[in-house]
Amino acid sequence: MLLEVKNITVDYDTAMLLNDVSLAMMQGELLSLVGPNGAGKTTLLRAITGLVRWDRETKQGTKAGNIGLTGQVLFNGEDISNLPAYEIARRGLILCPERRRPFTEMTVQENLKAGAYLYPKHYAGTLDFVYHLFPRLKEREKQISGTMSGGEQQMLAIGRALMSKPKLLCIDEPSTGLAPLIKRDLFDKIKEINEGGIALLLVEQDVALSFSLSTRGYILSHGKIVAQGTSQELLKDETVRRAYLGL
Amino acid sequence: MLANIFVNTLIHASVYALLALGFSLTFGVARIINLTHTAFYMLAAYLIFTFVGTLGLNSALAILLSIVLVTIIGMLSYKVIIEPLHEHDTTVLIVTIALALAFQEVMLILFGGHFRGVPSLVKGFVTFLGVRVTNQYLVVIAVLSVILVLVWLLLLKTRLGLAIRVTAQDREVANLMGINVSLMSMVTMGLATMLAATAGALVAPIFILEPRMWLQPLTIVLAIVVLGGLGSLKGSVYGAIIIALVETLVVFLVPMGSFLRGAVSLAIMIIILIIRPEGLFGVSFEGER
Amino acid sequence: MTGYLYHLYQAFKEEILFLPSRLIALVGIIALVLLPLFSQSPYTLKVFTLASIFAILAASWDLLSGFVGQLNLGHALFFGVAAYTSALLNLHYGLSPWMTIPLGALMAVVTGMLVGIPALRLRGQYLSLATLAFPLILTGIIYVFPDFTGGELGVSGLSRLSNSRLADYYITVGLALGLGFLMWKITDSKIGLIFHAIREDEIAVRAAGINTTKYKLLAFAFSGFFAGISGGLYAHVMRLAGPSTLDVFMSFQPIIWTAFGGIATIYGAIIGVYLLYPFMEVLRIVPEYRMLIFAVIIILVLRIMPQGLSPWVIERIQKECPRCKRHNAFTRKTCKACGTSLEKPSLGGDSFKLEVKTSE
Repeated sequence: MLLEVKNITVDYDTAMLLNDVSLAMMQGELLSLVGPNGAGKTTLLRAITGLVRWDRETKQGTKAGNIGLTGQVLFNGEDISNLPAYEIARRGLILCPERRRPFTEMTVQENLKAGAYLYPKHYAGTLDFVYHLFPRLKEREKQISGTMSGGEQQMLAIGRALMSKPKLLCIDEPSTGLAPLIKRDLFDKIKEINEGGIALLLVEQDVALSFSLSTRGYILSHGKIVAQGTSQELLKDETVRRAYLGL
Repeated sequence: MLANIFVNTLIHASVYALLALGFSLTFGVARIINLTHTAFYMLAAYLIFTFVGTLGLNSALAILLSIVLVTIIGMLSYKVIIEPLHEHDTTVLIVTIALALAFQEVMLILFGGHFRGVPSLVKGFVTFLGVRVTNQYLVVIAVLSVILVLVWLLLLKTRLGLAIRVTAQDREVANLMGINVSLMSMVTMGLATMLAATAGALVAPIFILEPRMWLQPLTIVLAIVVLGGLGSLKGSVYGAIIIALVETLVVFLVPMGSFLRGAVSLAIMIIILIIRPEGLFGVSFEGER
Repeated sequence: MTGYLYHLYQAFKEEILFLPSRLIALVGIIALVLLPLFSQSPYTLKVFTLASIFAILAASWDLLSGFVGQLNLGHALFFGVAAYTSALLNLHYGLSPWMTIPLGALMAVVTGMLVGIPALRLRGQYLSLATLAFPLILTGIIYVFPDFTGGELGVSGLSRLSNSRLADYYITVGLALGLGFLMWKITDSKIGLIFHAIREDEIAVRAAGINTTKYKLLAFAFSGFFAGISGGLYAHVMRLAGPSTLDVFMSFQPIIWTAFGGIATIYGAIIGVYLLYPFMEVLRIVPEYRMLIFAVIIILVLRIMPQGLSPWVIERIQKECPRCKRHNAFTRKTCKACGTSLEKPSLGGDSFKLEVKTSE
């Protein structure tokens, strides 16, 4: 078992964002996490990767710091529930955040270099891999990332995450704002990453695309897991289709 | 006259650059406007006075000791007092001023309010373009410039420097890269204080020591940081050079110029704020925070 | 008639008696009013007279900076402009304080507008830095025209505020409480709501179609007016208006007092001044350590209570009802107004449940 999330509950100042959420992932899997807007998917990723805890620590003492977090997260058998975010990253649980968040003032190359912070010795090798995966990034090596298009920034964000040599890579809504053709291409690359042995937890709005890659999926709504199963099962179930997948 | 202007500008530019750089670093990485910053500069100068003047220690040792001591004081202040408050902007401003005030008062109690001087660390002078320039000035300029270059190299070429720059860009995402953000803030605070202390220790022999000597550099640093762009390290250095130059020109060329010294920096700051608030190289924090 | 009195009594009980914080405030106010019964020493009266004046100043700062979030680091500008205006009007035209003070305040408002219009194009820290500079620039100008402004020595020989120290005292205390209450009412009004919203999220307010610049200017105007009143009062109580009224420390004092007492509350500013200012005077018995003790106390208090004294105390003596948001005494178990339990709700109570059949 690569990842075990047990009974995670998150509330921000009495608004409950996640309510007793549990999920599990195997080594090398590609798992889909879908659900309507505001369901709590990003919050779940943030809770797993330690950002909710970081939020709570840094905002302590203010109204915004009234954050409640309970539950347990096990990564490769280790209890990471109380670890700070950077320690979680050091163990190979990497998040490619929502809205990409590249370092806009830095070039592509510098962004990737930053991603390699944990593994400076492997920089050259991993860089090759990333450039092979996303040749476009190599072309724009010296370009300031803030000036790139959405699709390019997404590639950069994923590339940067890859530089940290993830064992499990969580990607938060990569297809946001991208044209269908670019989306298709991006997801091909995502599939390639998974085939290379890296487990992927994919949070997506585009359900069809996401389920076409994953074997299993979870559906999150209003902070609760409302359905789970193989992609096939979920796509076939009528209630699920109508209520959550808009199909 | 020209030589005087040149030398004076260089001295002030290097001091200001070191102070502004440290200030900018603290703001960029720890997201704190640390108004105690120049007080550390003052502390270092007074420590030199104590070590060299009162205790008769060897100059080099004195410099080293005061830099180390002040850096420790700086990091302690940050850890114990400032960091726990960092989400409350206004409170941080007030507490850092109160801290600077506290340091000032302690210096006042220990050393009295009269102006003090520290004997030069290096004696003698050279003649440059027909003007006598004390060797002390040259040493200060040289050392400060070297330090600036070293800091530059640290930030751009080392792994630590990368972590610092990344944290300054986006604290949250820095976490995701495996960077210990609170440690980085601490380290940066230490680095910034060290820069301020170095400036203080070195200029002790050439500037006048008095407990309120942290106030004017503070306004100047604020002006520089606005001119260069809040959050831009490059801007701090360029801003320092420009302001030092303008100030020196005003002091030397305008009658009664020395009274206008502070006003000049302020005026520049206002003008920049009105016509181009981001300064020369400003990074706008739109949406962030 | 008795019915009306009874209503008044009921209202008094509801609004004031049953909330510990307001009770404390009432006690404080009574103490201020009765102070002269205990001590008529000119020194004590003067200290509290000045404290009252500064209370108005601090509250006016809080209105603009704490409440609307436009951090003003140069509040002394309003104070100084009004002080000088009152002084000059009094000296050269012989106008009585009853005229010079309001006129001085109006001048402060005008200055506030002149400063506000360019400054409001800036955001956040940039605005603060700009405000810092204005009083300093004005100080410079004052030194350039010493014949008109009295230069370093300022304008002196002004009329007294009233005929006796005691009258001075009651006038200023009355104004402090009255204007303070007025400012508090402003924050409690519709305008106050918009002010608060601007501080929280200006972009959202603008998106709602409200002209935030207009409201920010209004905040500058209000703040400038009240600060101006305090400036005029100061001139006539001290019978002098000098460059110290534009000093950086004069700008910082209201900030320190307010932060100590509680930012964005109005009453916090007033409490802060009435606690700190007399305390500072008492510290004159140890002149060398005075400022140091002051600084250390500020640091300690703010370190433990980052949002100031009042919020910290209130949090401990009162509880906010989760449903109707009314404050209740900490001794209560249920809300006086709506009856909901005041205990912290347990998690999972209201969670949204949806059952979906899936195969597993």
